[in-house]
Amino acid sequence: MGFLDIRNVTKSYGQVEVLHRVDIAVEEGEFLVLVGPSGCGKSTLLNMIAGLEAITGGEIAIKDRVINGVHPSKRNIAMVFQSYALYPNMTVGQNMTFGLEMHGVPKPERDKALVSVAKLLQIDHLLDRKPGQLSGGQRQRVAMGRALVRNPDVFLFDEPLSNLDAKLRVDMRTEIKKLHHNLKTTIVYVTHDQIEAMTLSTRIAVMNKGHVQQLGTPKEIYDTPANVFVATFMGSPAMNIVPATLVIEGGRPQAAVTDAEGQVRHLRFSQPGLAAWEGKPILLGIRPEAITDPEGADRKSGNIVALRNRVTVTEPAGADTFVTMTLSGKDAIARMRADANVVAGQAFDFAVNMEKAVAFDPATEERIA
Amino acid sequence: MSAVTQDTAVSTGRATRVFLYLILILFALFYLLPLYVMGVNSLKPLPEITGGNMMALPQTWTLDPWRSAWSTAQIGVEPTGLRPYFLNSILMVVPAVAISTIVGALNGYVLTKWRFRGDTWVFGLMLFSCFIPFQIILIPMAVVLGKLGLAGSVPGLILVHVVYGIGFTTLYFRNYYASFPTELIRAAQIDGAGFFRIFWRILLPVSGPIAVVSVIWQFTNIWNDFLFGVSFGGTSQPMTVALNNLVQSSTGVKEYNVHFAGAILAALPTLFVYIVAGRYFVRGLMAGSVKG
Repeated sequence: MGFLDIRNVTKSYGQVEVLHRVDIAVEEGEFLVLVGPSGCGKSTLLNMIAGLEAITGGEIAIKDRVINGVHPSKRNIAMVFQSYALYPNMTVGQNMTFGLEMHGVPKPERDKALVSVAKLLQIDHLLDRKPGQLSGGQRQRVAMGRALVRNPDVFLFDEPLSNLDAKLRVDMRTEIKKLHHNLKTTIVYVTHDQIEAMTLSTRIAVMNKGHVQQLGTPKEIYDTPANVFVATFMGSPAMNIVPATLVIEGGRPQAAVTDAEGQVRHLRFSQPGLAAWEGKPILLGIRPEAITDPEGADRKSGNIVALRNRVTVTEPAGADTFVTMTLSGKDAIARMRADANVVAGQAFDFAVNMEKAVAFDPATEERIA
Repeated sequence: MSAVTQDTAVSTGRATRVFLYLILILFALFYLLPLYVMGVNSLKPLPEITGGNMMALPQTWTLDPWRSAWSTAQIGVEPTGLRPYFLNSILMVVPAVAISTIVGALNGYVLTKWRFRGDTWVFGLMLFSCFIPFQIILIPMAVVLGKLGLAGSVPGLILVHVVYGIGFTTLYFRNYYASFPTELIRAAQIDGAGFFRIFWRILLPVSGPIAVVSVIWQFTNIWNDFLFGVSFGGTSQPMTVALNNLVQSSTGVKEYNVHFAGAILAALPTLFVYIVAGRYFVRGLMAGSVKG
């Protein structure tokens, strides 16, 4: 039993089912991020929690009260919209207290709540302005203020940062994280940006095509992705997925891949439990930062495998240099220190941290180790 | 070469510019000519018109034709002037414009923000009502008004004009509200505002431009309508019908100066509405066509 329970929820439009049996229990004070590509059903799920879309099957409960048929205003939730949805004809102060006014809260109490929230968000000097006179970041704050004033059980955020420019987005991200840290509120946050998901959440639900692909902490999602979709969606650049054959050598499972010259190379796994796959094809998954130059390799790792291979392209990106090579006929990207001495077209000694490697079943694309 | 300073799409030389203004001024004078003729002739005694030049300024200035048209001229069988009919028109046009605009706004609100199954059909049928010619509905409408007991009365005329105007006002408001962000309505719902509260507090305050369009359109159409007035007006005929009765009377001397004064009187309210609200009219018509 969670604070916010989503139990076996489905959503259909006519014959088309767009959400399939979603089951998530959110604890009080948790920051759950729903992340996925467009059309994966994340916003639909959020709207169903808000009460803006009807629930086709299953039930949603807040504090053990089933809210399936309850009007949005009676669910004790607040929502921050992508476009902020500030009422253009009202001042900032009126915008923020409109909800309280509709709920019949007397004016002195409204003003008290307004003042404290405005101070918290540092918008107390803007209360008499109209939304049209505010900058993007200020509007964003007002939209959050409007949600905070109501003091709801659950906050819902629908891609709130996607209309801001890159720098402001990073600032507001930190701001939201601070706010959650200080207020310990329960938040459900929808985004398509995997970095937002990783940085903000206490737990992530990665969604695709109406299914929750994986539900877990950011670390679980990143280190042990449930399938190829999660592995490639989370992380930038994406995880390298390389076809390989599993061989057992010296009692240890190894991934046999071919390098740029067509030579077979063996990469030794750390994980047990791959014996059943001996001689079968697998997909080897390695994050770019697990392939480095020997000096840059993780010293704590007990399983660094050397791999000499020709460099196809180098892309210096300031802090890091991204190096592309060919593994089993596919491009694989390595993340190097900026000063690593790599030259395109020449062979280079890579160090692969196989402790961080994962393996997938090529047929189902599910993780096997 | 000097820098481009003119704020027009095509740059022109001085000679072309003079030529352009000359043409424009000529056209403006041409369009103002009828108003000038009406104005000067309504201020002359009758013999000056019948005996002389239509274009000339009055030799003796007089307001008698205006007084006569307003309060003493023979309209039909009664020497009442246009005054009571003017009042009829006001009593008809104000409620008819107000009701049709409010209903149109509500329709537009429902058709865009509270969508229901078949709403596009409903809207399509309402659009279709804009294309029904007046003449077709005269007899059915007469029957309906008779059954309702509203035949030959101002409320009857109001009903006819409201029914006829809703198609247009719905079209205006629907298209205006279509570009209004639905997220705002959703935010208001979560905030706890109901159907009418959202309309009243969120939507109406930003409907100014389109409301002006609707009011001007409805006001001019209803004020200038003759056919419905003459068919359903009965004893409470509007201004347009009275003006016709004044001008078309076939007995006695044709008092052209009184006719001119009466015609201007009949046109004044629409002129007034255009001058007061005209600039909003263009703004409203253009609303939503260009972002920003």
